[in-house]
Amino acid sequence: MSKRRVVVTGLGVVACNGVGVDAFWDANTAGRSGISPIDAFDVTDLASKVGGQVRGFVPGKYMPEDTAKRVDRFVHFGLACADMALRQSGLDLGAEDPERIGVIMGSGLGGLMFHEEQMVAAFDRGAHRINPAAVARISPNAVASQIGIRYGLKGPNLVISTACASGANAIGEAFRKIQYGEADVCLTGGVEAPLTQFNFGAYCALRVLSKNNQNPAGASRPFDLGRDGFVMSEGGAVLILEERERALRRGASVLAEITGYAGNSGAHHMVMPEPEGNDAARVMAAALRDAGLRRVDYINAHATSTRANDVAETKAIRAVFGDEAPAIPISSTKSMIGHSIGAAGAIEAVVCVKALQEQLIPPTINLDTPDPACDLDYVPHESRAAKMEHVMSNSFGFGNCNVALTFSKAR
Amino acid sequence: MTSPEIELKVREILAAKLGIEPSAIHGDSRLAEDLGVDSFGAVELLFEIEEAFGLTIPDSDIGKVRSVADIVTYLDGWLAARAAALPPK
Repeated sequence: MSKRRVVVTGLGVVACNGVGVDAFWDANTAGRSGISPIDAFDVTDLASKVGGQVRGFVPGKYMPEDTAKRVDRFVHFGLACADMALRQSGLDLGAEDPERIGVIMGSGLGGLMFHEEQMVAAFDRGAHRINPAAVARISPNAVASQIGIRYGLKGPNLVISTACASGANAIGEAFRKIQYGEADVCLTGGVEAPLTQFNFGAYCALRVLSKNNQNPAGASRPFDLGRDGFVMSEGGAVLILEERERALRRGASVLAEITGYAGNSGAHHMVMPEPEGNDAARVMAAALRDAGLRRVDYINAHATSTRANDVAETKAIRAVFGDEAPAIPISSTKSMIGHSIGAAGAIEAVVCVKALQEQLIPPTINLDTPDPACDLDYVPHESRAAKMEHVMSNSFGFGNCNVALTFSKAR
Repeated sequence: MTSPEIELKVREILAAKLGIEPSAIHGDSRLAEDLGVDSFGAVELLFEIEEAFGLTIPDSDIGKVRSVADIVTYLDGWLAARAAALPPK
């Protein structure tokens, strides 16, 4: 069958520099960091003490109190973002066929918080003291299932776990489901609540986190010579993807079109990118082919603020766009909100949709002294107005799970 | 702990779990029929009662508790057995 066109009709986001699309977009275009000293757990023994904690987020604002009490924090983010996105989409779920609406979410880590709490209970007091809600709260697929249960959505229901690419992979797979007619609407995105003692400690042990504890807002500095690792953060995003014809028929406001998706593997290493960026280049080229495009007007880079990523990604962008690469503006959302693992690709997709809508590129903050090996236009410090028809978002996960998505201006 | 004290505690646990007032729960309230507690809800409820009273309810006894009164009777019996097993003061 011929592929159907797919558009974005709703957005929801929870990030450490803004809860809700408007607050988040204002912070991003103003170059406002959401990174702060971590107080969610004890960091005394850890070398890194900064992160992107979401503050002032009240789950009960977006879901019944009873639900809020029974799910883990990563599901709070999913349900809140779904609520925001559905409201914006104007979908009348009572009038829709629930079997045609899917939920496809990404999460790299699942219900870590409750998991750790219950591990402590099991070791301290015996395995017979584990809470009977543990299975339901810890399962990574709880986020898609709980969104499905809350809104009665009976189409495809999946959670994809490809580390830092989870959210982007989920959006890509939802795009395919609608393109090929398995669903007409999908709630899709990614969530993560990784700021826990064990998980944060594990990333510290890997020595990939910034130790710039004296200057939290300056800790995440992609492409900058002074970078010393990434900053871990929490959050989530949900997009409403919808088959284009039906969205137009119901008079939905179309925010952007999703036009290309590709995923691949570098088959190289569990935590190192392929140093020449060959796999990253292949996935970007494949997404361009999928969209029928030759170039894009903006790239929201994966840009983690690690030397390994930033240099390989720069090489990949050069390999794909050749002489045109220096003329393509690139920026890093992670410079402001850090790295939210399975949520990152989805939050960055929200940035791409907003950038197309507003024709405005949020900056890469903290880029004071560019790494000579990173020699492209990373839109330093301040946002920039630009004419954009097509944009790309890159996500590269640990284990070499690579994803590129393209979005195009609503037409 | 007297039976009325046990019943009050059980009603408080149930009320917090169900999000209703303890006064809406009576001794003869049936868990499934009157309070809408499904089998997973019952497992969770028994876990909370185990935590509150410090006992372990074996799987074989779970079928014995179908109402608030059943839970109180069960806990009464358990407390009495425990008191009998303790050395005299």
